[in-house]
Amino acid sequence: MRAAVAADQFYQETRDLRVTGFLLFMVSDLVLFSSFIFAYLYLRNTGQGWPPPGAPHLNLALAALNSVALFGSGATIHFALENWKHEKFMKFAGWMLATIMLGIMFLSGQGIEYYSLYTVDHASWAGSGVFGASFFTLTGMHGLHVFAGIIYLTVLLLQAAQGKYTFKYYTGLTLGTLYWHFVDVIWVVLFSIFYLI
Amino acid sequence: MEHREPAVHLDRGFWAVTFALAIVAALSVFAWVVAPISGWLPEAANKAQQIDALFRFLAASGTALFVFVVGYLLYFAIAFRRRANDPPDALGVQIHDNNALEFWWTLIPTIFLVILVVFSIKIWAGIELGPNTGLTVEAIGHQWYFTFRYPQINGEVTNAMHLPVGQPVTLRLTSADVIHSFWVPGMRMKADMVPGLINTLHFTPRRVGRYQIICAEFCGTLHGEMDKQWFVVDPPVKYAAWYDAWQKKNSTASNALPVQSNARVAFGAGDAKIGQQLFSQKCTACHALGPFSQRIVGPGLLGVLHDPAHPNLVNGDKATRENVAEILQNGYKGDMGQMPNQTANALSNTDIANLVAYLDTLK
Amino acid sequence: MAVTAPQPGGIADHIHPEPQGFIRKYVFSIDHKIIGIQYIVTSFVFMILGGLLAELIRIQLMNANGGFMTPDTYNEVYTIHGSTMVWLVIVPMVTGGFGNFVFPLQIGARDVAFPWLNMVSFWMFPPAGLLLYASFLVGAPVAGWTEYPPVSLQGGPGTSMWCVAIFLVGVGTTLTGINFLVTALKMRAPGMTFTRMPLFVWAQFATAPLVMIATTALAAALAALFMERQFGVPFYDPTKGGSPLLWQHMFWFYSHPAVYIMILPVFGIISEIFPTFARKPIFGYKMIAFSSISIALLGFMVWAHHMFTSGLAPFLQLPFMIMTMVIAIPTGIKVFSWLATLWGGKIQYTTAMLFAIAFIATFTLGGISGVFLAAIPFDLWAHGTYFIVAHIHYVLVGGSLTGIFAGMFYWYPKMTGRFMNETLGRWTFWLFVIGLNGTFVPMHWLGLMGMPRRVAEYDPQFQTINQVESLFSFVMTLAILLFFVNALWSIRHGKRAGHNPWHARTLEWQIPSPPPYYNFKHIPTVLANPYAFDEPVPYAGLEDELTDSPAPIPAGAY
Repeated sequence: MRAAVAADQFYQETRDLRVTGFLLFMVSDLVLFSSFIFAYLYLRNTGQGWPPPGAPHLNLALAALNSVALFGSGATIHFALENWKHEKFMKFAGWMLATIMLGIMFLSGQGIEYYSLYTVDHASWAGSGVFGASFFTLTGMHGLHVFAGIIYLTVLLLQAAQGKYTFKYYTGLTLGTLYWHFVDVIWVVLFSIFYLI
Repeated sequence: MEHREPAVHLDRGFWAVTFALAIVAALSVFAWVVAPISGWLPEAANKAQQIDALFRFLAASGTALFVFVVGYLLYFAIAFRRRANDPPDALGVQIHDNNALEFWWTLIPTIFLVILVVFSIKIWAGIELGPNTGLTVEAIGHQWYFTFRYPQINGEVTNAMHLPVGQPVTLRLTSADVIHSFWVPGMRMKADMVPGLINTLHFTPRRVGRYQIICAEFCGTLHGEMDKQWFVVDPPVKYAAWYDAWQKKNSTASNALPVQSNARVAFGAGDAKIGQQLFSQKCTACHALGPFSQRIVGPGLLGVLHDPAHPNLVNGDKATRENVAEILQNGYKGDMGQMPNQTANALSNTDIANLVAYLDTLK
Repeated sequence: MAVTAPQPGGIADHIHPEPQGFIRKYVFSIDHKIIGIQYIVTSFVFMILGGLLAELIRIQLMNANGGFMTPDTYNEVYTIHGSTMVWLVIVPMVTGGFGNFVFPLQIGARDVAFPWLNMVSFWMFPPAGLLLYASFLVGAPVAGWTEYPPVSLQGGPGTSMWCVAIFLVGVGTTLTGINFLVTALKMRAPGMTFTRMPLFVWAQFATAPLVMIATTALAAALAALFMERQFGVPFYDPTKGGSPLLWQHMFWFYSHPAVYIMILPVFGIISEIFPTFARKPIFGYKMIAFSSISIALLGFMVWAHHMFTSGLAPFLQLPFMIMTMVIAIPTGIKVFSWLATLWGGKIQYTTAMLFAIAFIATFTLGGISGVFLAAIPFDLWAHGTYFIVAHIHYVLVGGSLTGIFAGMFYWYPKMTGRFMNETLGRWTFWLFVIGLNGTFVPMHWLGLMGMPRRVAEYDPQFQTINQVESLFSFVMTLAILLFFVNALWSIRHGKRAGHNPWHARTLEWQIPSPPPYYNFKHIPTVLANPYAFDEPVPYAGLEDELTDSPAPIPAGAY
């Protein structure tokens, strides 16, 4: 009994540390994105008008479809965690898989967009002026985050299947969910500033 | 935890020191008020007087504050030292805080800063928000010299910026390559010359004379050399004469292109000995007296005209005296980096003839 | 025991056995104390290199026409000097060094929140420094530590290495910031409420978010510069639609808070040393703590005061000027509180205390010239000149470095169990103070009279003053060499200090020197703030910690 209480206290305290640390990590990651977003908005508003010469026309429909996939994945991962809390492993695994698939869909969509920008509009990272610099840097950074997130979630799913997390102690899963929501929120901002304004 | 606050006695020593510090502070304020700043550094433009007034205020109040802080620091440090007859673990007076004191030393600096902000804004508004009236002149930064454009003068004025005394001027600043900063200490003002951006300075020259123009933003290898051009304030008649002379001189120049020096160099008159002296003064910062590969900024120049391994100059032209002279006149910009033109290097065509004669002797 | 005493089973009692073997114990250590000392030693090694570069600069400037080095070499030398001193010396010293060693001890923790992460942070630092110095082999960066584009786009290949090196250091400090913030929030000993934290802890607590947020912004700026230089991705080049001012905004959004990263922990050091040696509570504890926090917050709102001459829109200039001046108020509160702490004390003149007292004078001078520069019209005069050089050196040498020396003399006995030699310490002190002021005071004058910064040669009228400065700088170098001799010699030959030689009251002094692997046998309970000298030490649960008794106070009364 005493050992169980001790383990519980140890778990509560480390959970506290890990969640706080992870939140702070996301704050500084957010600053990284914000800096490039600031750079983009600054260049957009101080140059010789926007869009600058040579900037391609972005495909709003494709991006919107992509956004739906990513926002949908935000919902699926939420369901996954809720099911875990209700101790339903199979449902959890299903929703996690759905999340991962949606993430892959998003990345594929982005790949298609990059490909068409490159072949049809001849837009590139270094060759399309400040537009290419901001657009490819920011969406590329975000894409890398999604990619890392897919691997992260896959690892979490495998670990959960192996029994690394119990229905009582599952901080790792909470952190994965937080990360995925974070990536989602960043996309809301990027979508707005590149496609909507 | 309750602490019984001990009674605070500011003894006679404290008040005596305070009085002494007040006298020293007052003297230093007085010294700054009468300080002959315009004697140390002439006030070339009207804004210089205003900035000097602000500086006087800052220096006087800053010195007074410094006198009090350091004075009290030294006094406390000496008066409250542990004496030889104190027990080794003697304690000081156990005071934790004093709300009244803390209130006042927050409020008084705040009031002072409000005064400073108001004063600064007043002067700042005169400098930044001045009307765009009067003569408009453009100054352009290059690596590593300044050029100037005047209305109705074609091309660019290269050596010095002349302006008439007493007439308002709007100076528009930009750069042809990297960021420079246009600074005339005699005007107290500077503004950065940013490529792709135009910054302005408004002022009225008020004192005839020559004032150094200095680049105050790092701009590459020879940044330190960019202090050799002058801002000349002329009486109106003299200014008009200067203006006419430049207008005539540049009547054929186009405004679109930088000045190209095409004057012929008289090679026959070149004196290698004078050339050698010139070389050591003007060239050795960037060029070694060694083989081509011994590079400082530019290549080594030993045998520049007689090196079978390098029959061509860095710009691809054949290594002849004429082509070397052409680089000396117009400068170079390319794979090897950059070399300023003859104006920026302050070389006359005679100098160039002498240098070429000297370079020809190197084998 | 009190109700707040730790329950068995929490992190506090989750003790791993001490690692054995040299590598695990001293190289890839996860012990915050070892990591702290690693940071301090590494920073001092880089300080020797940066100091040598500084002397090369002073030798070059003894002649108005230069000649000791070519202009390009000179530009490389001062660029690496500045970058070294900021990123490889002062920032790692005050956060990674003193922060790691002292701050977990002061809050009664066994380690920082994430010891492994702490080790990773440290090990980004030496390779980054080596990379920075390796850039000399391929042509080091030349555009100063601020590396303004477009001129930094022209710089040699070393400029890209500079980007990578600073980026690495930045990632390391960011992780340290996260680590410290979690530690400060979650790992304080029972009973250590915010109003009972020592002021050094407050200082680290205020610095950690600055590090975490500002450094990330720098990382973005550096990444963009790197991409532009290596792959031609346009951000800053105006000929491709970029903006040179964008770099200045992003760089100063980091680098102004960086100034506070470098000075706030030092404020903390001074706030520990003053009460200890004046034998008196720190005056105005709450106001000092509050001013640290407000300086940290305001520090984010003033970056563009470095850009008054750059062409900032007029309506943006005013708020930045006003915010900058506002910072003078909390800073002034600190200086006045320190002065009041001295009043009525029984001051013991150890070398640490001498340095702390000198700090007040030199830092105040740097602070006052800072207020000068905040006034835009004066900044138009002094920006980009030796006046700025004087100001930055008064803040960083007269402020941070002086405070670092004070802290070294103060905590050396805790790190090693031995004192540093006090006689040598006094020589160090006087030579340092004389050299410091002789070197940097005349620079104010030079700047105002027309000497721009970052020049390899200058107007001959300034030559005499420059020669005098160079001579004084040699004196300062001598002082610093004496310090190193002292620090090395004292490791083996210093007088033994015992666990609490200064009769200080913060937690780190209540356990043996050097502290054991897991710091505290039992996590203590904190009953009050540590500065009431007439009360017993306010901790419960420390009965088992000590095997030795306090040594007598070493420094003689004057």
